[in-house]
This record gives sequence, C-alpha cells and structure tokens, in this order.
Amino acid sequence: MANNINANSNLDITADVCPITFVKVKLKLEQMKQGEVLEVILNDGEPIQNVPRSVKGEGHKILAVESVGSKYKLLIERGE
Amino acid sequence: MTIDYNELKKGGFLKQKQKDKYIVRFRSLAGNLSSDQLRALADLADKYGQNYVHVTTRQGMEIPFVAITDYNDMKTEIKDLGLNTGTCGPRIRTVVACPGNEVCGQGLMNTREMALHLDEAFFGRDVPMKTKIGISGCPNSCAKPQENDIGLLGVIEPVLQEDLCIGCGICQKVCPNKAITMVDGKPILDESRCLYEGNCIASCPVDAWLEQRRGYQVYAGGKIGRKPRLGQVVAEFIPEDQVIDYVEMVLKVFEVLGTQGERIADTLSRVGPEAFRQEMEAQRKNG
Repeated sequence: MANNINANSNLDITADVCPITFVKVKLKLEQMKQGEVLEVILNDGEPIQNVPRSVKGEGHKILAVESVGSKYKLLIERGE
Repeated sequence: MTIDYNELKKGGFLKQKQKDKYIVRFRSLAGNLSSDQLRALADLADKYGQNYVHVTTRQGMEIPFVAITDYNDMKTEIKDLGLNTGTCGPRIRTVVACPGNEVCGQGLMNTREMALHLDEAFFGRDVPMKTKIGISGCPNSCAKPQENDIGLLGVIEPVLQEDLCIGCGICQKVCPNKAITMVDGKPILDESRCLYEGNCIASCPVDAWLEQRRGYQVYAGGKIGRKPRLGQVVAEFIPEDQVIDYVEMVLKVFEVLGTQGERIADTLSRVGPEAFRQEMEAQRKNG
C-alpha cells in the first residue's frame, strides 16, 4: 500500500531522540496543507512506539508503515 | 500527662527513637497536596519540628522531632490549616495513586477521583492488620498497586473491527508483549498475551482497534517488608461504580479466611488464589 502513495514532503528523524522526534514531525506537518502526505523515516524502539500515537492524537492520519532495514517508514496524511 | 499510644498512632503521631519526640505523619489525597497545604507543612516543621519534612514512600509527609507537650496545640493547628494526618497501626492506610487520565496521556481511568472515593470510604478504618491500598490508571503501574494489600489497576480490552483495518501493522509494532501478529495483512490477537494497556487502540490510525471495555483489575495480597509478595488479580474489568464494593469484598474475604497476625498476602498464600476468588464470588452473591 505504501508504494502507491507519493509523499509531498520527507523527514528523517533517525538522528533524534524522543520527544524531539515527535516535535519535529508535528512542526513539519503544521507547515503542510491538509491532505498532503509526509514521509517520515524513524528508528525502531521509542520512536516507532511513540510517534504514531502522538501523531494520531494531533488529528493526523497514518496511511502506512513499512520496515526498511532496521528502520521504519511512516506515511502520514496531514489532518485539519 | 498520661499517654494513650494507640490513640496517638491512630492519629498519625509516631513515637521516634529520641525520648518524648514524635514523628507527625500527614497524608496527601490522591497523591496531591495543595500549595497552601505545603506552605502549612513547612510552617509546622519550622514551628514544631526541625525545619524539614520527610517525604514518605506512600505519598505522605512526616515532621519528626515534635515534642509530646506540643501535641494538643499541634492537633488544633493541623485541623485549622486544612491538613490531613496519616495513620499507623492496624488501620487502613493512605491510598496511594497515580495522576490518572486527568493529566496523563497513558492513563485509562480517572484515578484521582477514585482515590478520593477510596480515601473517604476506607482511610483509617480499624482492621485486623495494617492494610494498604494503591491505585494506578494503566498497566505502567506507577503507583504500584501490586505492592499493596489491595490494588486497583486501570485496564482496557481491545476489539478489532476488521473491515476498517488498512493493514498498516502499527498495532503489531507498538504492542509491548507481541500479542498481535499480522497475518495476510490483518492483525491476529493472542489474548493470553494481552496486557490490556491499549497501545493498539491508541496507535491505530483508522480506529479499527476499539475499546471493548475498560475498568479496574482488583489485586489482593501485595506487600513488601521482610517477605515481599506481589498481589494477584482477584477480579477483572470492574467498572468504576463497583470498585468500592469490590474493595469491601476483599476486606470481607480477608475477615472470613484470614487468621490472626496474617496480612492478606499470607492468607492468599495459605488458601490459594482459587479459594480466595471463590469466597469473593460467595460474598458477591450475598452482597
């Protein structure tokens, strides 16, 4: 499913620690228009445990998650 | 003056090592103290103690080095200042609580309110042995209910609406106990591995994982001390409006099955959780 979606923007947070991971995602999404898609690369462990639920809590939508080697790729649709 | 040590203990005045000196124990309500209460405690510590308070492991405060001759004055001041004393001896103790879902993002239940109800219903009651109650709003268990004679743990049970699922696999990833496995693009839940903390529900982007029910697990028989034991679940998914009843039930079962000098942990070890649960059921039917 992830293959069909083109991202409007990209963000790599594999060098960041929680909660900066979520903060960066939140700020990036805020700069985007509703309905646009953000592709986020993040690490296993705390980031994948925390970012999806925090993003959901902000009203955005996770379209897909895919493991890419030891990391994860998230596709997030910007909510209202 | 003649001293009734039992009365003193009941009222939170504990004899300390030094002659004629007492530790005055205060409790918080649901783990909270207002800023006015904190200021009052500081003032009392300066006036009657040695300018410090000891913060206890059960969310209380203690002022040591209070002279017994100050007992009456201090009691009056405590009342006027809106402080609450703790207790000692064979009584139900301070209810320890986590902040709960009022402020915590992971909280499943409003433990602050429930702790206030529990304090009102149970604190200070005379019981065969000291009895401690703890409540946490989710399986992170920050207030450690499993270490208390009677514990309450907020839990949530997930259920899948399969037609909504988009197969993203987040639920498999966020489950702390590998209870969910993606099979042909759909999640399969092994409920025997479910810890009821609800990460799947919280993380599901399309709300395919939903809440089936939430409530409190009731634990009995936790204690630390010289022979630590963890409490065991004696009732599951108890709704908020039945929590008080179930705590009464555990106390009743302890009264029926316990022998002198036992803590609930000892009773539970001796009769076994099955017999304990059976007596709970008998009490539930009678009540």
